[in-house]
Amino acid sequence: MSEANIGGNAGSASPAEPRHLRRVLIIWAVLSVIGIAIWLAVAQFILPQAASSLDGADNFTFLVLTVLAVPVSLFVFVFLGYSLIVFRVQGRPTEDGVPLQPRPSLQIGWLGVTSLLCLFLLIWGLIAFYQETSAASTSNTLAVQVTAQQWQWTFNYPQYNATSAGAQVIELPVNRPVEFYVTSKDVLHGFSIRALGVRVDANPGEVTTTAVITPTQIGSYTVQCVELCGLFHSDMWEAVNVVSADSFNSWIISQGGHL
Amino acid sequence: MSDTMSSTTVATVKRPNLINSLFPSVISGIVLGVVGAALAGLLVNRITTAFSPDSVPNDDAVTAAVYTAWVLFFFIGIGAFNGVFKWAFARREPTPAEELQLAGKDQGLWRYFRFTTDHKVVGMQYLATVFVLFFFGSMGAFMIRLEQSRPGAIFFNPQTYNTIVGMHGIIMIATTIIMVSGPFGNFILPIMIGARDMAFPRLNALSYWLLFAAIPIFFSTLALGGFPTGWTGYAPLAVQELTPGMDAYCFTILVFAISTTVAAMNIITTVMVMRTKGMTWGRLPILVWGVVLSVILSLTAFPSFIVSQIMVLMDRIFNTSFFLAASGGSNWLYEHLFWFMGHPEVYVIALPAMAVAAELTAVFARKPLFGYRLLVGGLVGISVLSVIVWGHHLYTSGSENALVAPYMLDTELISIPTGIFFLVLVGTLWRGKIWLTVPMLFVCGLLVNFVIGGITGIYLADLPTDEILHGGMFVTAHFHFTLVGAGVFGFFAGLYYWFPKMVGKRLDPLLGRLHFWLFEIGFVGTFTALFYAGLQGEPRWSANVAPPFATPNLIASLFAILIAASVFTFIYNVIHTLMRGEHAVANEWGAKTLEWTVPTPVPLENFEELPVVTSLPYGYGSPLPESPVTPAADIAGAITQAPVQPQAED
Repeated sequence: MSEANIGGNAGSASPAEPRHLRRVLIIWAVLSVIGIAIWLAVAQFILPQAASSLDGADNFTFLVLTVLAVPVSLFVFVFLGYSLIVFRVQGRPTEDGVPLQPRPSLQIGWLGVTSLLCLFLLIWGLIAFYQETSAASTSNTLAVQVTAQQWQWTFNYPQYNATSAGAQVIELPVNRPVEFYVTSKDVLHGFSIRALGVRVDANPGEVTTTAVITPTQIGSYTVQCVELCGLFHSDMWEAVNVVSADSFNSWIISQGGHL
Repeated sequence: MSDTMSSTTVATVKRPNLINSLFPSVISGIVLGVVGAALAGLLVNRITTAFSPDSVPNDDAVTAAVYTAWVLFFFIGIGAFNGVFKWAFARREPTPAEELQLAGKDQGLWRYFRFTTDHKVVGMQYLATVFVLFFFGSMGAFMIRLEQSRPGAIFFNPQTYNTIVGMHGIIMIATTIIMVSGPFGNFILPIMIGARDMAFPRLNALSYWLLFAAIPIFFSTLALGGFPTGWTGYAPLAVQELTPGMDAYCFTILVFAISTTVAAMNIITTVMVMRTKGMTWGRLPILVWGVVLSVILSLTAFPSFIVSQIMVLMDRIFNTSFFLAASGGSNWLYEHLFWFMGHPEVYVIALPAMAVAAELTAVFARKPLFGYRLLVGGLVGISVLSVIVWGHHLYTSGSENALVAPYMLDTELISIPTGIFFLVLVGTLWRGKIWLTVPMLFVCGLLVNFVIGGITGIYLADLPTDEILHGGMFVTAHFHFTLVGAGVFGFFAGLYYWFPKMVGKRLDPLLGRLHFWLFEIGFVGTFTALFYAGLQGEPRWSANVAPPFATPNLIASLFAILIAASVFTFIYNVIHTLMRGEHAVANEWGAKTLEWTVPTPVPLENFEELPVVTSLPYGYGSPLPESPVTPAADIAGAITQAPVQPQAED
């Protein structure tokens, strides 16, 4: 452990001095284990319900990153807290502290550990991202053209010649892959359905294709704008219901489409 | 030293000559600026009406003319061009007496209201401005929290709300950019490197008064209909907006960015050429490194902000189409220009605050910095890497997927030099003799908040988690933890630390502790609740809270009351201290940097004789624990100075 060198050139402190470094590292290890256990226990209550495999994967990445984050942040917190309790002097100090300097091994070790953490985050993120985006659209995939404008969403279903315009809710079928083609009529908007894990900008004059997403949970969700788009930005949300294939078909017909 | 003592008496002798003291000053500047702006507005109104096919004036052109004339005539009125004018047309060089007059010699408090070149005057002007702007910015924040406490519209309609959010954002961003480099970079930094003034004293005054001139431009947006874009000013929304309130935003950015550029060039030149004998680059106090790297970064970043706002203004005034997709423009162009400034700018704010924390930790742990060169390397690493990380703001922009890998690599690399900062600070505290003063409390708060801010940044840097958090409240909470939790806490640490040197009085420590605890508890509570709201999917910038997010928003608003209480505690502390605070001694904290070797109040030109530096200013403790005890004075004597200034010890 590179941190073990933090004592630096002060290894020969007076024998009466307790072994601070060992103590603080034990405290850190214990608190880290407790912290990770607490997080794993409460995570299911903190992370929102995922309604697609993509959102589930995103939530899982969140879980993993937090498991890593707990010991990393506790490292600073524990060293800071320990120093403030043990090394604090009441009133103005009359003498100076031990002028420690980091050994080269500590510096290089620290850089090595942080680089490895960094590398892990990068590789994890890239693998997860390319897995999510690798699903190819098939003949079964539902194509949905999403048009944003100030301040509403319109979903068009070209395979059925149907549109969500005039509907109270927007519907998607459960367990069927869907691909969104997102664009904007006026300014920049942000297309987001949190429960499906889809979030991409709606750019004027551009059509952006999202990853292929399969909603897995029947339920009612919302599509929201997540880029400030003017006066009624905060009202730019609509209900998106994930429903059974039968209900979806009847909704499509009610919206003027043909099966 | 005597000139500051006698300043009041001399000022009273000069009082009969009212014209002399009013012109040039900020009063004549404002008068001439307003007159010039009115004339220019009238003129352009007439011209655009005459040339318009349907006889309607071009409001945006009129607004632009008014702002341009305001800045130009304000500077004529305040006497900013007098020096240039005399240099060009006078038959002789200015005498030293005239230069001292310009530096505010014997002008009492009035020197703070003139085009004064003394770096300490400019530093105090910046400090007062930072106070005022922070006050307005925090009031904006409380209005936001008030509105967000319950779902639906309570107090403000969406237009007012959007304008408040945008104003809060711009005020706070601008203020945090200048909060350390302005007051401390101008007042403390030249003394720290052993200089008598900045390299370009007139440019120094210019940079401050440009900032001053930008403030009325910014607030004029309230009279012109506000702006709907938030602080990011995204086009094409900014081009679509009809009210000229948007032009106020663009012009504020222009004037502010020019001010920052001027200040940056001045600070860089000062540190390059004005260091005293023996003050090598390897002996610079860490604050100097932090400020210099920060302003170098702002020189790199701000030009693209200036360019983007000029393009928006051209789209608005001359109907060009840089950002309009319908006629070949692109909103991505704006996003790239903006974030090429926007992300380095975060580090423009963070670097000096981090440097303040490091500077103070050495003093209050009574230990040399744990790896000075390592930390300098870390700060340099941050400033280099921060130029190439802006892409993560465009993760979800719909750009090519292949771009994600380099964006993600750059963004995550920057956590390595940031990690160095934590190693150095924790190492400096380790086995120190920690003196937990109010400035040190703020440094500890900074460490805690910066860990949270940095770690939550990882979730936004990793694309799988960013695509559920982007554009949401999680982002808001994250950048508040870095900009407020690290930035503003660093500013307050520096303020409680240098206030005795700058003002000559001690801020009350008990009120300071109250300020800290109210601020820290309120701050962590508010933004932890918003992290939760963001994780559930609450979007940013929403005027009306959607019902599912009501509870975390209410909790956040309740904690914000504590922050409000901390603001007023702080204001009371400053007023109380100014009126009946204890007088500070020359070396208030027993620190070893040069600013503590000069008397308080610091005389004009700072040093009677320039000091000679022989080592780093962190000579605490004996060089090696095994070596025989060396008298502390010997190590302190690393800074030799002759003749020795009278220095109070307590």
